[in-house]
Amino acid sequence: MNDDISPVLKICVWVLLALVVAPLVVPVLMSVSDTPFITFPPQGFTTEWYGKVLTDAEAQGTFLFSLKLAGVVTLISLILGVPCAAGLVRYDLPGQGLILGLILSPLIVPLIVIGVALLQTFAMLGSRATFAQLVIGHTVVCLPYVIRTVSGSFVLVNRSLEDAASVMGASPLTVARRVVWPQVRPGICAGGIFAFIVSFDDYPISMWLADGRNFPVPLFLHSMIERSFDPSIAAMAALMIFFALLLVLMIEKAFGISLARLIS
Amino acid sequence: MTGLIATPSAIAEAPGALAPLAAKSAASPLQSGQHVGWLMVAPTILFLMVWFAWPVLSMVWLSVSAKVVEGVTVPGLTADNYLRLFQTDLYLRILARTARVAALTCLVAALLAYPLAIAIARGKPGLARIVTLTILAPLLVNVVVRSYGWQTILNKTGALAWALKQVGITGTPSLLYTEWAVLIACVHVYLPFMVMPLASAIRRIERSVEEAARVAGASRFRVFVRVILPLSLPGLAVGSSLVFSLAAAAYVTPQILGGNFSPLLGTLIEQQILTLNDWPFGAAISTLLIILVLGSNIVFLRLVNRRFAKWTGGSK
Repeated sequence: MNDDISPVLKICVWVLLALVVAPLVVPVLMSVSDTPFITFPPQGFTTEWYGKVLTDAEAQGTFLFSLKLAGVVTLISLILGVPCAAGLVRYDLPGQGLILGLILSPLIVPLIVIGVALLQTFAMLGSRATFAQLVIGHTVVCLPYVIRTVSGSFVLVNRSLEDAASVMGASPLTVARRVVWPQVRPGICAGGIFAFIVSFDDYPISMWLADGRNFPVPLFLHSMIERSFDPSIAAMAALMIFFALLLVLMIEKAFGISLARLIS
Repeated sequence: MTGLIATPSAIAEAPGALAPLAAKSAASPLQSGQHVGWLMVAPTILFLMVWFAWPVLSMVWLSVSAKVVEGVTVPGLTADNYLRLFQTDLYLRILARTARVAALTCLVAALLAYPLAIAIARGKPGLARIVTLTILAPLLVNVVVRSYGWQTILNKTGALAWALKQVGITGTPSLLYTEWAVLIACVHVYLPFMVMPLASAIRRIERSVEEAARVAGASRFRVFVRVILPLSLPGLAVGSSLVFSLAAAAYVTPQILGGNFSPLLGTLIEQQILTLNDWPFGAAISTLLIILVLGSNIVFLRLVNRRFAKWTGGSK
């Protein structure tokens, strides 16, 4: 019995993979085209568009803004999420099902609806603090990712090691620092990275809450697509794709975290 | 309701996180004080109550507690927002289009996902790894960029038109700004959410079952139809409910590829609230979207659970 898959299926798989990659490769090809408009196949070769994007003050500003926003959101999500995940795993709380339901609901309710609901609430409260609003909105959707990933690593913690350490006279703090922390660190890293990605990439929440001075990268890209037709937008897309590739390498190699956990 | 909300993701991640959480053994005897646990969980619960549950519920409430008449918001219990939604031809068309695009996205994604999921679950380790990475890596690329990628392909001067010209086909209309473009891009964007649950469902099928069928003389295709397909239905249900929910609520992709010619419900919400300032009506559409998504989750899981019970009934 052959364990491998049939050759026909294999061909299907390679064709599908090519289709999956195509919309990511084509913009990269077009970004080096030496023409004042976007065209396929690209003509000539120039890195002029990359220079234009990288030196554009507006693009730089939104990039730095998104980094700052995603950084703050990641920090808050971890501060809220890690103890919550630990508490859910370590203690048998009554109504745990309800708590889990609440925590996971932001993954089910459409993001665009969460965004508009928050906008309504902020308007009702008379809030003008756009940055804080964006942080809150993003944290609502990042928390489920953090809690899911971190609780997974807390479940796997080997309890007998903790018992052994405390029997040997280690204080609870030492146990937490020297025994628990090394075991849950990968999960916390993963949760943090996922929170960062989800926040950095968010469009449907930001679109309601952002304003001219608090303008994240995805919104900026969309506005560029609508108003610019030269290959600089392709160059910007290509830069985002390279950035994502870098993230993939980082996640899979440096942290040894499976990307699959982003989905499930 | 909350129980139902938790189900799809809980099934999807059996090897992952929360499933073991639900089935965890009794709490450690070392730490007994429940109040410590509550203290750890409370900030998150409070945060989500204030900034998630309350905003969403108050928006649902707004949809039945006010209406806009000639630009003026009139408070008072009313069903008018919903009646307007279901009695206006334009809105019904958008609703139908949303359901159609979401359902087709689901269907096409399922068809394309099976070969990929089988390659991940049953292929040689090298191939499985390449497929997994290629399917998941695009998730890290911003959805605006992924949609823009399709624009550069489907454009009048794009890659597809060029490729068709090479084989002698010219003058085909551009797909850009049609429902087809929206469908293609939605399938691309949400495909990973179908492939991964399917792959983990197929991985859980005992190889010996397939081998028995093969030894008994079944062709590869028959093995797929009679063994892999029925036994992977739970994964298909999880994938379908995820893809349907995501596609029904999609905003960016339809906006970039469908333009203003084929808006979905998401675009309608945005127009009603940001352009027309009709909050109660926007709230009603949002509520409908939530119902659509929750409903599809329940339907997919019920349907397949029943099917699944029938398929496997008596086999054990």
